[in-house]
Amino acid sequence: MFEVLEHTADIGFRAWGSTPAELFVHAALALEAIALDTSQAEERYVYPIAAAGEDYETLLVNWLNEVLYYVDGERVVMGRFQIDQISPERVSGKGWGEPRDPARHPPRLVVKGVTYHQLSVKQEGGRWVAQVFLDI
Amino acid sequence: MIEVQTEDGIRFRIPKQESLGMRTDVLVFASPELIEQIRRDLSLRQAVNVATLPGIVGPSLAMPDIHQGYGFPIGGVAATDWEEGVVSPGGVGFDINCGVRLVTTNLEKDEVRPKLRELVNQAFRDIPCGTGGKGRIELRDKELDDVLVKGARWMLEKGFAEERDIECAEEGGRLEGADPTHVSSRAKERGRPQLGTIGSGNHFLEIQYVEKIHHPEAARAMNLHEGQAVVLIHCGSRGLGHQVCTDFLAEMGAAMKRYGISLPDRQLACVPIQSEEGQGYLAAMRASANFAWANRQAILHFLRDSFRRVFGNHVRLATLYDVCHNIAKRERHEVDGKKRDVLVHRKGATRAFPPGHREIPAVYRHIGQPVLIPGSMGTASWILVGAEGAMRETFGSVCHGAGRLMSRTAAKKGRTAKQVEKELEERGVIVRSETKDGILEEIPEAYKDVDEVIEVVHQAGLARKVARLRPMGVIKG
Repeated sequence: MFEVLEHTADIGFRAWGSTPAELFVHAALALEAIALDTSQAEERYVYPIAAAGEDYETLLVNWLNEVLYYVDGERVVMGRFQIDQISPERVSGKGWGEPRDPARHPPRLVVKGVTYHQLSVKQEGGRWVAQVFLDI
Repeated sequence: MIEVQTEDGIRFRIPKQESLGMRTDVLVFASPELIEQIRRDLSLRQAVNVATLPGIVGPSLAMPDIHQGYGFPIGGVAATDWEEGVVSPGGVGFDINCGVRLVTTNLEKDEVRPKLRELVNQAFRDIPCGTGGKGRIELRDKELDDVLVKGARWMLEKGFAEERDIECAEEGGRLEGADPTHVSSRAKERGRPQLGTIGSGNHFLEIQYVEKIHHPEAARAMNLHEGQAVVLIHCGSRGLGHQVCTDFLAEMGAAMKRYGISLPDRQLACVPIQSEEGQGYLAAMRASANFAWANRQAILHFLRDSFRRVFGNHVRLATLYDVCHNIAKRERHEVDGKKRDVLVHRKGATRAFPPGHREIPAVYRHIGQPVLIPGSMGTASWILVGAEGAMRETFGSVCHGAGRLMSRTAAKKGRTAKQVEKELEERGVIVRSETKDGILEEIPEAYKDVDEVIEVVHQAGLARKVARLRPMGVIKG
């Protein structure tokens, strides 16, 4: 689904999916898992998420920026995502979760931002693969 | 393989190569050992990319603590022409005005030791790191806008600061030209509950003592003596600055095409300084910088309470100085014999003005601007003063820290947080962290040797050593 990648100062991840929609779901889960422990996240509310971009790469950065804003701005934890519509220019979907509670969702790392550093989204052997680095 | 030339073993040059789009040379300050470490990651490639920025003046500079960042290397300095050049949010980074405040106390190391655990626990309760919850300050809309315009001065007006805290901060803890209307509502919402919080990553608050004085005259001006307890606060503008960077990276990525700018790395996104987007970014960046100064001031305010609670009301904490090491500032520098207005991007680099400079507070003007260099958790930190060489060679800049060597994932292998805590305690350092990963990822071995970094800038004549500080207690996210 995803794996964490090394960077001297920060952290990254590689995510996979059989479709762009699945890839975007897995990338959102990777970001959540790097920021905090989502194992106790309950699906109490549904949060809409939408983003626009010029291509799948900028779209993914903007999508992850939306998820990050929920984590650090709205202080929400999400453990499940769904994509309703996706094209290289636009994505819309939702996430299920609840307001963050440090006791039940212990924080791991404060993610400052999603970067364009060595960013890639491509098709490899019939599946979609993305590489993203986060500023910590 | 990038070819690096050196004549003196301190200055390492990558000559301009037009085939790479370079408009100027890259100049790295390092030692033969450090340059070998630097070659192992992408930092030199990133310094080459910085040399392609339109309007860059002088070389693309890198300090001995340089390591791989995003777009700019961390430890990079670039000056661009104020009229013709560009501004790049990547040259400032996500953590706008990440910086360091050093606070002196009227306590000796030997008075602090017996109550160290109590002090660390008290400060850990009083000063949230903010990884999970909120800070202690509630700000209404109007108040947040005031913080963004007034910075640390807002804290003074509210009774959370002493006059000296403001006088002894770079820019007096407030950059002119901040405009909250350029800060998105998202950035404000992200930052609002985080005023007075440390954050995570490499940010920390450390209780330290002065181990050795290297420059007695400067130490006298700073009221420093060996064995004295001091506190170092390392943090920035929290989610507010992070969101401002995110917002403008997206905006500039789209705007670059309009200005006909193409670059080797999207993270270097930039626009002309004099464009609407450029001025908008600078206004928002200054507001974020002001938020960071207010943040470090709020932390000091809470820390004063912690010290009084543990040691009594006779304890005095005084700001020695406060520097920012992620910032872009308009400054006047001599380039090829002529005075020019430039925008100096310092991405993981500290301003280091020499003796006599008018921007230095009167108490320090005869010794040079204090420069504060935090080392890695549990090793050593340094106080320096700026020297003439910095004005000649680096647009008045030096290094900002030890510089990372090891990735976070590598640092976590083979040990537990408990083991690291125990090892540090055996060295006389007590650590409290909000997260387990926070301790593991910042282990001293993950960093370069800060003493080696300091030796380079001292030998190069960019700054002079004043004092080496040793940690006793660490609080981190």
